[in-house]
Amino acid sequence: MTLALREIRRAKLRFGLLAGAVGLLVFLIMFQQTLLGTLLGYFTGALENQSGQVVVYGEDARRNIEGSVLTPDQVAAVAGVDGVAESGPLGQGTFTVRADGELTDAVLWGHTLGGPGSPTTLSSGRLPEADFEAVASSIDAGSGFGIGDTVSLAGDAVEITIVGLARDARFSVLPAMFVSYATYEAAVLAVNPDAPFVPATAALANPVDGVSPAELAERITAAVPGVDALDRATAVAELPGVSAVSQSFNLILLLAFVVVTLVIGFFFLIITVQKADAVTLLKAVGADTSTLVRSLLVQVALVTVAGIVIGGGLLQVASLGSSEEFPIEADPALVAGTGAIIIVLAALASIGSIRRVVRLDATAVVSRPSMGGIS
Amino acid sequence: MKLAIRELLRRPGRFAVAGSALTLIVVLLLLLGGLLDGLYLGSTGLLRAQQSDLVVYSEDARESIIRSRIDVDVRAAIDGTDGVAATYGLGTALLGARVPGETDLADTAVVGYEGAIAGVPEPPAPGQAWADRRLEAAGVGVGDVLELGPEALTLEVIGWVDDVSFLQQGALMVEPGTWREILASARPDATLPEGTFQVVGVDVAEGSDPDAVADAIAAATGGTTVALTVDESVLALPGVDAQNSTFTQIIGITLLVAGLITALFFAFVTIERTAQYGVLKAIGASSAQIYVGLVVQAVAVTAGAVVLGGLISVALASQIPPDIPLQLEPPRALFVAVGMFVTAVIGGSISLRRVVRIDPASAIG
Repeated sequence: MTLALREIRRAKLRFGLLAGAVGLLVFLIMFQQTLLGTLLGYFTGALENQSGQVVVYGEDARRNIEGSVLTPDQVAAVAGVDGVAESGPLGQGTFTVRADGELTDAVLWGHTLGGPGSPTTLSSGRLPEADFEAVASSIDAGSGFGIGDTVSLAGDAVEITIVGLARDARFSVLPAMFVSYATYEAAVLAVNPDAPFVPATAALANPVDGVSPAELAERITAAVPGVDALDRATAVAELPGVSAVSQSFNLILLLAFVVVTLVIGFFFLIITVQKADAVTLLKAVGADTSTLVRSLLVQVALVTVAGIVIGGGLLQVASLGSSEEFPIEADPALVAGTGAIIIVLAALASIGSIRRVVRLDATAVVSRPSMGGIS
Repeated sequence: MKLAIRELLRRPGRFAVAGSALTLIVVLLLLLGGLLDGLYLGSTGLLRAQQSDLVVYSEDARESIIRSRIDVDVRAAIDGTDGVAATYGLGTALLGARVPGETDLADTAVVGYEGAIAGVPEPPAPGQAWADRRLEAAGVGVGDVLELGPEALTLEVIGWVDDVSFLQQGALMVEPGTWREILASARPDATLPEGTFQVVGVDVAEGSDPDAVADAIAAATGGTTVALTVDESVLALPGVDAQNSTFTQIIGITLLVAGLITALFFAFVTIERTAQYGVLKAIGASSAQIYVGLVVQAVAVTAGAVVLGGLISVALASQIPPDIPLQLEPPRALFVAVGMFVTAVIGGSISLRRVVRIDPASAIG
């Protein structure tokens, strides 16, 4: 232990640089994980944080809400399935709207007021009580979606007043507005007056006590022809782009973990080879191999922990500097979990160096010509 | 140089760790690049195949084909604009198609068109379609009669066309009336009247400047339209620009990582062999010769990693389900190989300073 600490004290720059490099990599890993969580939340927020526990798509949509259409008969049939406590239509669509004087894209989430589909994360204001009122995603409050703001679409044909804000309620990385189903219908007809009628995008349902959402979803799929019902968690996971984004980020994370392992492994291997003579001498004067290995492991642990602290600190700095539109949160559980994985990987990475230390032969010290030996 | 190659041949195991890491990175680069190419090509085929110079959207669609709408009177204004040689209406409808003999629906984009799409013949008769060849993976065959939408409208596939997919959906190229009928059936809320399209392709008259014609179209339509070049319309597709920049950054970082691993490995090799290099220098070898040997080894290890990584990637790609948009393209493989060799040379060169500083006197203890 003393040996390990003394060596670090005498080579502060070398170990400091390694701790810094590991810290940067740890930060990269944690930053990506945070980014992934935020991005996925922006993709799925409105669906995840609404009160409908079962989402019923048209079968042809292949679980893509953008491609789903239900007939009025199908919506009515969902309500009649055994185990449904309440249900209603959902109208979802992306519209060009004018907010804060600027044209922008926004998602309308039309549902039966007071029924399934209401936002569950209301952070300020109130839920809509009438047509042309909306709860908007709170993150977009500063962009013309704040309480009291009016958002218009199709010229000024439809005007929606924001009466409340909900956390984590974006959808497809766009501002979302929870409105009455009639408001959604009015918006569709304003944009396309040629539409003969406005079909529901999907239906939302909640089960009676004693029936799980997954069980109810199965019942609805079996009972109503041409629909595909999913419990909310499955519907969120199946949204287009969610699995692709998760897989891409996970691939990058895997790569980052491999790199951390390789960097730590190669660094300590280089150090071990560099000081092979000194370690051999220590063995020759009686130092126990286990003592030397322990010393190496202490150094690996100290450097890794320092790297985790640096990475966590950088994440904290990033969280303080992040914008309101894309907040980065320094989650202690994330730092702890990632840190634990890095420590295990660092231990694995040091196996090569440990093998080197173990295999050094104490007699080599007297076989060196410069010490009078015969090589 | 000979010494470096001999060492590689006699003790290949010594280079296994770096070789394995680099192989893994080659696989990652090829799969990431393959995903990027698959996403890009699968989303943009229909627009890349446009032979027109400009694509005109309604202004309030914010460059979204699906939300755009060009009515008959707007089309007439475009047709009458100076510098416009010809116009071609285009519209899409995304929906699942039932394929005979298949249990799963096929993801399709029914595309109504009037012409001017590279590799696609003139519009077929009503009820018939030219099918994007990527639909073969979903079990579609020439002669099949597909059922689309809740009313099970039918389309007969009469032949294949290549690389016209749209937003990852295989295209079914149909005449405009058939498209409108399917759109109204599948998305009643998006029903469009006769003569209305979502966007219009514009051929610019010879000698006219496309930018000037685009401005003239906007003026002629009272500012209700926006005209983009085909390249601009490709990048305006949802996610395409973001995908390109994100994946390119990831690929760049991965190449940096490859360089870092090469540098660390050969720094280790150099330190480990300081004594041997000292002996080589003592008997007359120059720093340049030793350095070249190191770089040759770095390039050789990388070459092995590129070949092995390429084979593993091809094997993995063949096992990946068809709904994952992975497309291994030869130009991408060439880019990865060149990138890996460049990073290997740079990474191997990090040891140059150490090699130069080795003192031949160290050979005698």
